[in-house]
Amino acid sequence: MDLRNISQEEFEIIEAYLTDTLSDEDSLKFEDRLKNEDGFATKVEDIRTVLTGIETQALKEQLDHFHHDLSTDKNKTTKKPKVKSLNWKRITVAAALIIAAGSFWFLNDNTNERLYAKYFTPDPGLPTTMGSNENYEFYEAMVSYKQGNYQDALNTWKNQLKTKTTNDTLNYFVGSALLAYKKENEAISYLLEVTKQANTTFKNEAFYYLGLAYLKANNKNEAINFLKKSDFTKAKDLLKKLN
Amino acid sequence: MREVYKTGQKLQIVSAIKSNDSVTLRRIYTSNYPKVETLVLKNNGTKDHAKDIFQEAFLAVWQNVKQDKFIPQNESSINGYLYTIAKNKWMDVLRSQGYKKTVIASQLSYFEIKDGENNGIDDDILKDKRLEDVMLAFKDLGDACKSILRMFYFEKKSMNLIAEELKLDSASTRNKKYRCMQKLRQIALKNN
Repeated sequence: MDLRNISQEEFEIIEAYLTDTLSDEDSLKFEDRLKNEDGFATKVEDIRTVLTGIETQALKEQLDHFHHDLSTDKNKTTKKPKVKSLNWKRITVAAALIIAAGSFWFLNDNTNERLYAKYFTPDPGLPTTMGSNENYEFYEAMVSYKQGNYQDALNTWKNQLKTKTTNDTLNYFVGSALLAYKKENEAISYLLEVTKQANTTFKNEAFYYLGLAYLKANNKNEAINFLKKSDFTKAKDLLKKLN
Repeated sequence: MREVYKTGQKLQIVSAIKSNDSVTLRRIYTSNYPKVETLVLKNNGTKDHAKDIFQEAFLAVWQNVKQDKFIPQNESSINGYLYTIAKNKWMDVLRSQGYKKTVIASQLSYFEIKDGENNGIDDDILKDKRLEDVMLAFKDLGDACKSILRMFYFEKKSMNLIAEELKLDSASTRNKKYRCMQKLRQIALKNN
């Protein structure tokens, strides 16, 4: 049996079966084929392995990113420079490189930083009205957020996120608070989560703030990428200055 | 009421893991790694060992949650489970031939080696040859295909969202996905 030989139609129906998106009727037909058609079950198992393989490898690659973040966080605090013997020639070359790279970074950083400062204002937040709110904790934190007590707001919201991981409102405001709290790198993953939701009302905001977060992190390409996706005039304005 | 809340929490963490929610996965990764690193470092291992062992264990936990072989009650039961698997895996390494020559059992300060401590936990998901081939093939797949398959099967984005991102209509997106799939399977078969 040649496993390579599978039509698009057949692939799609197997995929739908494996991801549990077939209608009841089609499901029955499918199970029937599984039982009666020679070699079909092997094909289905193969596709199942391929889908698992893709997912597993994609996660594995993401784990390396997590690990990288872990070690950069640590290096900042624990690495001490060790100089055993002085090699002046090397040191001079290194110093020259550092100065060159540093001044490039500084100049580059400066314009991005300035633009960021000009365009960034924290999201004003949601109106908090007194009364019969079922979600008291959330609005309590919203008050903290508006008063600029980002840490307090973050504590509550992050806690709520543990049980509502894909909630777009929570992800969006955690992202906003982190950004206002000058933790743009952390903010990015929350804002990205918002943009994954197809019907979120925060889409334009999230894209705009993602653009700003990347700008602050000095990643101009990504910044442009996300600003393009936002309908805000501010986003379009900023894009013109970046191009 | 409390029970209801607990069930809700359980469902949330399971569905977050099943949907590969990156915030949750990152939190589990970063909050558990240091303990495992300490364990491995104190027991004749290096940081590289610790990373490999931990990542293997992490993938095993994820896979077992996905297949409902392990149903965590909350996040701390995941943490315990992850640590146990990592510990078992590191013990397997220590018991293996390469290590027996160099390590004296009394040097192992952190845990005693007991046989049969594996508790029947299934943590060998990566030992399937075909799966390994697919993973290698995906690693080397071109960027365009890699990104589209990633969006579908790892990020689990909706068809409409992906089509929008690729600026294609949904028929062409589906066809592109199919062609990438064929390419991946061809590479995987060739590696065989």
